[in-house]
Amino acid sequence: MSATPGVLIEARKLTADYGAERALRGLDALIEAGEILAVLGENGSGKSTLLKVLARVLPASGGQLLFGGRPLASLPRRETARRVAYVPQSVDLVFPIRCLDLVLQGRAPHGRGFVAETPRDLELARAAMKACDVESLADRDAAALSGGERRRVFLARALAQEAEVWLLDEPTGDLDPRHRLEFLETLWRVHGERRTTVVLVTHEILLASDLATRVLLLKEGRAIAGGTRREVLTEQNLERAFGAPFAERGGRFEVVSRTLPGPPAEL
Amino acid sequence: MIGPRTRSGRIAAFLLGAALLVLVSAVGFAVGGVRLSLSDLVSGKGEAGEMARTIAALRAPRVALAALVGACLALAGAALQALLKNPLADPFLLGTSGGAAAGAAIAALLSVSPLLSPAAAFVGAVAASVAVAALARRGGRLDLQRLLLAGLVANAFFSALLLAAFSIASGEAARSMLFWMMGNLSNATPGRVAALLPYAFLGSAVLVAMAARLNLFAVGEENAAALGVDVERTKGVVFLAASLLTGAAVAFAGVIGFVGLLVPHGVRRVAGNDQRILLPLSALAGATLLVAADAVSRAAVAPAELPIGAITAGLGAPLFAWLLMRTA
Repeated sequence: MSATPGVLIEARKLTADYGAERALRGLDALIEAGEILAVLGENGSGKSTLLKVLARVLPASGGQLLFGGRPLASLPRRETARRVAYVPQSVDLVFPIRCLDLVLQGRAPHGRGFVAETPRDLELARAAMKACDVESLADRDAAALSGGERRRVFLARALAQEAEVWLLDEPTGDLDPRHRLEFLETLWRVHGERRTTVVLVTHEILLASDLATRVLLLKEGRAIAGGTRREVLTEQNLERAFGAPFAERGGRFEVVSRTLPGPPAEL
Repeated sequence: MIGPRTRSGRIAAFLLGAALLVLVSAVGFAVGGVRLSLSDLVSGKGEAGEMARTIAALRAPRVALAALVGACLALAGAALQALLKNPLADPFLLGTSGGAAAGAAIAALLSVSPLLSPAAAFVGAVAASVAVAALARRGGRLDLQRLLLAGLVANAFFSALLLAAFSIASGEAARSMLFWMMGNLSNATPGRVAALLPYAFLGSAVLVAMAARLNLFAVGEENAAALGVDVERTKGVVFLAASLLTGAAVAFAGVIGFVGLLVPHGVRRVAGNDQRILLPLSALAGATLLVAADAVSRAAVAPAELPIGAITAGLGAPLFAWLLMRTA
């Protein structure tokens, strides 16, 4: 179990299931400390499942998953929760909850027995909300926020959690262009300040090519490529992962259509 | 509504709730087949004072039992709603109350001592919870629609069981079964109130201790897991404590529906959904609701009595319908 220097998380032949359905089928991956790793793949490729296993929301059914050289499942749950923050794709809030209280939940693994927040918890939560530009929402009901606001509140929660790893599931999923940009700029800035390890799951190739340090390409529950953007983002790899032809335009990759008219011709 | 933020706001909410309970309890003392004058009770001399004190001594255990049962059911409902992230959860709708009644009835049929009927009701309540949760589980998670359907099926099954037990029972056992089916506070005695107390206290203490974890569940089970909660263990503890409270309430007062649905809903609108406030306030408000409903049941058609379950269902069923339309 010798940990390669810089490697924080290592998966070997990792498997995970939803009931009878196998979602990860022997995945190998390395996650380095301080990097932004984009996990890229089509729907059903197992990328969200990988995050859930890393967050210990879903147990692995086989293989090995090492966190700092130790099996993740052997660590106390609350210790993992102090070190790993999970930002799910979307949370359906049924009950009202004040944004500040939602951010304070990030402090739950730090307290004793999940009881009450301390003044320091409150201070950290407020600072995190400020860093994510959601200070003014503190007393608003999170259930009534727009998608972009809610994502920033959840990012603030990950910040307040003081975790060294952030797991972000489709962080820009349903955001309009302006909110998408604002969210990514906030993420980039905060990552820069804290040197957090970020694992973000997406099917947006742009997100990976603009932001990631390294890219992991998944297909059918396995990693088919992993490495720097330059190594992984090639027309061949993307075509294999997404089952559609890709073309590069100025360092960015786009799906090629044979039937759509395409952009207007330049004069 | 997201509730009071400040400590003083929370204290005010508790004081208001407590004052309301005292007020409603005073009304509960006063009304009934014979109207009791509170001034006679406090300062009455001679025959009038004697009479007032006799009536009060008879009504006191009834008011106390109503308060305790209401607190138990409301607390169980509030905790289940947070745990399952579902405002429609309620020990009555999920079949827990039915299971408790069937457990108590079977114990009565087997001539087990009435002192053990809370334990039998608890076993029935746990059996119902386990069965309903197993039926509602799909792909590793509890499905809302399946949960309500499973509760419906469990209720049908347990009421059939109760009817079958009733048809072969006789005498005292048959009378208690009727009582469990209808929901009834009329045979309250100081002894029964005292017997309910330890169950109520234990179940409440466990649930209130789980309040901060339940806050994480109210956002979602995955949310709780990602924040370091041992999800399976917490679910087990909360289900057991809620079953204990429901079993105890049913053993002493029969099946009284919708309290666990109505009360947390109302409290949440005023005080928000922080379980550390919502749970104790729900207990207070549940006590108030049931004391009030009991007073209405005695006063409305005096000297006859309305079944208390009819009053809570009259309030709760429309609320359920409204909530169902909103969540669908």
